[in-house]
Amino acid sequence: MSSASKPMILELIDACFSYGKNGHVVDNLAFSVGEGEFIGLLGANGSGKSTILKLGSGILKPSAGKIMLWGKQLQSYRNKDRAKLISYLPQTLDISVPFTIRELVGMGLYPYDIPPAITPDEALDMVGLTDKADAHITDLSGGEKRRTFIAMTLLQGAGLLLLDEPLANLDIKYQIELVRLLRTLRGQRNISVVMALHDINIGLQFDKVMLIKNGGILGFGRPEDVLTESSITDAFDIEVKILRQTDGKAYVSYQENYRKWQGMQK
Amino acid sequence: MKINFFLIVLIFFAVLAISLFLGPTPINPLALDGTTREILINIRAPRIAVAVLMGMALGASGAVLQGILRNPLADPYILGISSGASLAAAIGIIGGVTIFGTFSIPVFAFAGAVLTGGIVGVMGWKRGGLWPERLLLAGVGLSFLFSALLMLIMSVSRDEGIRRAMLWIFGDLSMSDWERVPYGVLFVFGGVAISLWRAKALNALILGDEFAHSLGFAPQTERVLLFISVGLMTAASVSLGGMIGFIGLLIPHIARFFIGSDNRLLVPASALGGGALLCAADLIARSALPPMELPAGIITAIIGSPYFLYLLRRKNVLSV
Amino acid sequence: MEYHRLSFPLVGNPSPDLAKKDAGQAGMTPGQHGTRSMNERLPSRKIFGLLFLLFTFYFSLFTVSYAAEPPKRIISLAPNMTEILFALGLGDRIVGVTSFCDYPEEAKKKPKVGGMSNPSLEAVVTLKPDIVVMTTDGNPKEFEARLRSMGIRTYVFTSRRLSELPRGVRELGAALGVKAKADEFADHFEASLGKFRIKHARAARNARKVLFIVWPEPLIVAGPGTVIDDALRIIGVENIASGAKAEYPKYSIEEVIRKSPDIIFIGKGKGMESASEGLFKMLRKVPAVREKMVFYVSDDLYRLGPRTLRGIEEISALTDGKP
Repeated sequence: MSSASKPMILELIDACFSYGKNGHVVDNLAFSVGEGEFIGLLGANGSGKSTILKLGSGILKPSAGKIMLWGKQLQSYRNKDRAKLISYLPQTLDISVPFTIRELVGMGLYPYDIPPAITPDEALDMVGLTDKADAHITDLSGGEKRRTFIAMTLLQGAGLLLLDEPLANLDIKYQIELVRLLRTLRGQRNISVVMALHDINIGLQFDKVMLIKNGGILGFGRPEDVLTESSITDAFDIEVKILRQTDGKAYVSYQENYRKWQGMQK
Repeated sequence: MKINFFLIVLIFFAVLAISLFLGPTPINPLALDGTTREILINIRAPRIAVAVLMGMALGASGAVLQGILRNPLADPYILGISSGASLAAAIGIIGGVTIFGTFSIPVFAFAGAVLTGGIVGVMGWKRGGLWPERLLLAGVGLSFLFSALLMLIMSVSRDEGIRRAMLWIFGDLSMSDWERVPYGVLFVFGGVAISLWRAKALNALILGDEFAHSLGFAPQTERVLLFISVGLMTAASVSLGGMIGFIGLLIPHIARFFIGSDNRLLVPASALGGGALLCAADLIARSALPPMELPAGIITAIIGSPYFLYLLRRKNVLSV
Repeated sequence: MEYHRLSFPLVGNPSPDLAKKDAGQAGMTPGQHGTRSMNERLPSRKIFGLLFLLFTFYFSLFTVSYAAEPPKRIISLAPNMTEILFALGLGDRIVGVTSFCDYPEEAKKKPKVGGMSNPSLEAVVTLKPDIVVMTTDGNPKEFEARLRSMGIRTYVFTSRRLSELPRGVRELGAALGVKAKADEFADHFEASLGKFRIKHARAARNARKVLFIVWPEPLIVAGPGTVIDDALRIIGVENIASGAKAEYPKYSIEEVIRKSPDIIFIGKGKGMESASEGLFKMLRKVPAVREKMVFYVSDDLYRLGPRTLRGIEEISALTDGKP
């Protein structure tokens, strides 16, 4: 999907950030997210995926450079106005208080004084959690928790979802379900999604991926262009082989690398 | 949930009425003589008002604190506010401060509580914000320090008055009079109002700062506001009648069984529940062995704990 | 004023009967404080017999040793005991007192061995006492057991009521080799109590209601079983708190108003007047407060000892000739 003609929702213009003196650094980051785009962030642990998402959501403020939301400085938005445009979901959802699903999803309405057209029950229906509405979040599986918060973002009405590793700790079945749900929602509501990923194979299914190393962008574009064997080796410090299925879909094999590593040990 | 809340309100007012007319000796409001009128209006009514205010402050601040510290074991005394109040009261008594008349000890306790809250806030402040873990540890640390200083004063002091005067800090409602009520109302209702006003933010903060940000709140600002409300309510309650255990820690959990975790209902329900419980406990404390009085704090724990344990077995409480 | 005398007793509060039994044993045979419970635990007749033999042996042993050699180095672990010991002319022999022992003046100069509930074992042992005088009213039982296990003689004074004092002092005097002086003290005490009784016998028929406040905030008063309660009875007034269930109960202000005492006594002390200000405001409708019959009295009544008579005299004079 080409993004050039579409209006930009979020733009990072030479954004820099560092945590203290020796922390992770994001350096002169420049990219933009267009309407309806589905972007996967890939990179080794500590490469800066989370930092980029936090910068994009306004949780972190850039030490230099600019972040624009719908053409206006992100920091210039009132908190509530920004919340109507961007939703951020952190990686860990350790919620110890037994909120019910309906209560949690309903929090998506907090930025609004006048509730938008969609109701919590409709949002729950969209993510397939209608029968769990009165269950406690603490009793739900990891996949159901993620879907609960996706429903919350639907209610929040934000056009841009920034998701930090939403697939982490999910069974493969739930990973596929969640990606499918997000795609469906994009189709229905034209939302854009930027999500950090840890599985290169999932990244290969995306329209657009960004490969990150040490807080800088190694590549940004269609997965077949960005995720080459050499760039993956560069980003993750592993040897991989990109194979193709009979239908032409690409997948990454870590197997070779595993053998090689074993060989090196011997 | 809404029906349960309505029930809590009903129970609250029923307990109020019962404790006004029952006691060491029941009073018939339709047949008052001079003595019973004096007892009803100048002894019982202010005492009930103070008990309710204290209970409300403890219940509400417990609910808020468990939220902002994201810790189900937090209670208003964990921040060291009560030990700071006790220490300040002890210093006031030793110094023989009487400039505020009968208010002297409560004023000192309140000042000590607010000061301690401030120190905990400063200790919990880093990188432009209050951090739950830092607050908790700072509170626990200060609490130990102040308790130790208090014990030191009490063990080296040969003035029996100090030891006696410290009795009230361990929970005493018998000296409640109308004069303290307006201040109590101001701080307790002020604190409850702030918490209610920021209840949505509190819900969001429980999910984590990033969630709160995403939902359109400035987590640090919200936390500071809520911390101030907890500080005010706790300080007011300690200076009204010393320390009463159990309510701040367990009333929010009990309230959660009935009305859920949404703080827009939980905070007022915890306030009403705390007020009703302390009022009922005090009724028992002053009526069980007349003319003797028992400490109300003991009764709150004796009637509250078994009920809490029963609920713990029956329902899922901390979701563990 | 002294704290422990006012606190709930740290050791058990024996019923009058047990107290008598205890007094009988402790007076003659120091160091048998713990054996009572042993008897209760082993109700076998054989063991009883054996113990009886042992007791008799023990008894005679100590009686002999007392008679032969009165203790020269005495430690007192209670302020009222210190006062009694001084009154019996044993002041010179006292080598250690508690930090609460402030009467008579000489007592303040004696070496201190700690508080009443927490005396220092080391300090006591260092002073090499011939005997340690303790009470059941504030000294821990365990401490006495510990001293005995270290071979230090103890004397446990069990009198806690006004009427028990003369007998208690007689027994103490016998044990410490000052029998004549102790008898004289006891005789005088009994005679004085008798005088008070006669003097106030008429008043008792139309008793005025009195409350004795020990601490105003929270309100702690002298209840049943206390020396103060006994003293109030002797001067023919009614202690409105004598129906409470503790010696020093936290008392209901409501009940004070309802029982409307005619006279209120309150212990004198630093800051007491300002501390009681709030209380008397709440009690403003009570006859005693309204009629200005609130009296700040000395701490003479708080300790069962030689000054107790003076304390009775004081409250007697205050109630005398008043309507």
